Amino acid sequence: MGLKDKYCIVGVGETEYSRHSGRSTRAMAVDAIKKAMADAGLGKDGVDGMMSYQGGDSTPANWVSPDLGLRLNFYMDVMGGGSSTEALVGLAIGAIEAGMCHTVALFRSMNGYSDVRIGGTGSRAAQPVRGLDLAQVPFGMRSAGQSFAPTFMRHMYEYGTTSAQVAHVRVAHSKHASQNPKALQKERVTVDDVLNSRWIVKPLHLLDCCLETDNATALIVTSAERARDLRQKPVYIMGVAGRVNKPRTDFHWATGPISRVAGHYAKDIVFGQAGIKPEDVDITGSYDAFTFTTMLQLEEYGFCKKGEGGQYVSSGIIELGGRRPNNTSGSHLCEGYTHGMSMVIENTRQLRGTVDDYCPGWAEGKHSYDYSPKQCRQVKDAKITMNLGWAMPATGSALILHN
Amino acid sequence: MPSVEYRGMNLVIPDNDSEWREHFKLARGHKLMLRACKSCDLMRYPPSHGCPYCGALEWSLREVSGRGHIYSYEIVAHAIQPGFKEWTPYAVVLVELDEQRGKPTEHEALRIIANLVTSDLRPEPEANVAIGKRVRVTFQDLSEDFALPQFTLTDEPPEGRVWKFPG
Repeated sequence: MGLKDKYCIVGVGETEYSRHSGRSTRAMAVDAIKKAMADAGLGKDGVDGMMSYQGGDSTPANWVSPDLGLRLNFYMDVMGGGSSTEALVGLAIGAIEAGMCHTVALFRSMNGYSDVRIGGTGSRAAQPVRGLDLAQVPFGMRSAGQSFAPTFMRHMYEYGTTSAQVAHVRVAHSKHASQNPKALQKERVTVDDVLNSRWIVKPLHLLDCCLETDNATALIVTSAERARDLRQKPVYIMGVAGRVNKPRTDFHWATGPISRVAGHYAKDIVFGQAGIKPEDVDITGSYDAFTFTTMLQLEEYGFCKKGEGGQYVSSGIIELGGRRPNNTSGSHLCEGYTHGMSMVIENTRQLRGTVDDYCPGWAEGKHSYDYSPKQCRQVKDAKITMNLGWAMPATGSALILHN
Repeated sequence: MPSVEYRGMNLVIPDNDSEWREHFKLARGHKLMLRACKSCDLMRYPPSHGCPYCGALEWSLREVSGRGHIYSYEIVAHAIQPGFKEWTPYAVVLVELDEQRGKPTEHEALRIIANLVTSDLRPEPEANVAIGKRVRVTFQDLSEDFALPQFTLTDEPPEGRVWKFPG
């Protein structure tokens, strides 16, 4: 893009990953943004824009900003779940470029376990079914897993992908979570653990699915010019693609191959802006609402050939110590579900060299690079990271960063 | 305003729902009818205001045979909606209809989501569900003006390779 390297992520922050926050999405959002501002070294005059995404389950920016003492020149709350983070980074650049504001805080705050459960149970299951939902929900197809499973099944049919191959995504992410003091599930699991866990919706076992979580996440975007004066080493935005669609997003099943996901269309946009190729990427953050979503996106963006995602994720490449680790925090499968922002936060910390693992000197960038349990999760000399955001098979976003 | 209770869900079609107002009512007459574009002649599902293939807004209803094959599927073991718990395990199938296969491009077709059910409208046993198997529409009457189009297996030869999830 013409704006390559002109904008940066300068601050990141999050609240505890839990299943019992006991407080409002407003309170959590304030805490996450406060941490991100402190991380960046920004005071209350340092942020004048705010954006958030939600699905009717969170607090808007104009209720959050007063608690931070901020007077905003721009705010906007959008409807959206996964893949919104990357898209909002692009929109923040646009708002700054348009002269509407100079520094934008983005947040996602949700009581995704204790209140509006992302899996579709709880208060959401009682809502009337109308409009486009009538095409699926009356048939017992409501949750994200139920809505995606025929895509996963068709990939297995077309390419011979196996449950055991895909289980390696959980294995890798659990390995990474064992190095992450914040993670909800820090225990390492095996392929057999995944295959022996109970069925949710075939082909998904329980351990193919992420962890519904209460949490807020935040990050701050500003110009490279302003970033130079701030507290952290700037992380530069090389390219962004936001909520790119397959045809027929109202009913994507109508257009095949249904095993194709939106990255097919997003990859040329984001790699074109960044001027790099998949092999130049050191760390991926491929959205893991399910093991399959990570696999499908990695192959669609060209980290392996289309159809070979099963081999790719089971080869060791995506594990810490491998050629291109994926989701080094353990992310949605093991750290906790955040609708994607945590994976951009993790990649930002990786590029700074200050991942918050068990190394005593992590905050000063002192790491052991020992990837045994409860040790280090910093990737040595990481230069370029890529986030692959997923909303559904038909919608996705991408973001490429470097240090 | 047609509204029906089904498995603990309130299925609602407000009077101003110009997409769905005819679909389930026609299904109650045991007809599967789709919108066909008056400009490019292609049918579409779900019902939409504009044609997804050419953007034209004029359409008419056209009956289809309701015959097709299972293009993909899932088996729900853990129900989300409480009313589906006694139905588990149940199959949700993506059916590709015989009409308009491979149009307007080789990858496109009329596809529809439904349950695979037995003749008495119970979930078809999981062992019988597979990609490639032939199916035909059946109608699950829920009220005087509302029925769900569902699908049952037929004894016709399969469409291509038959594949069943090994797990």
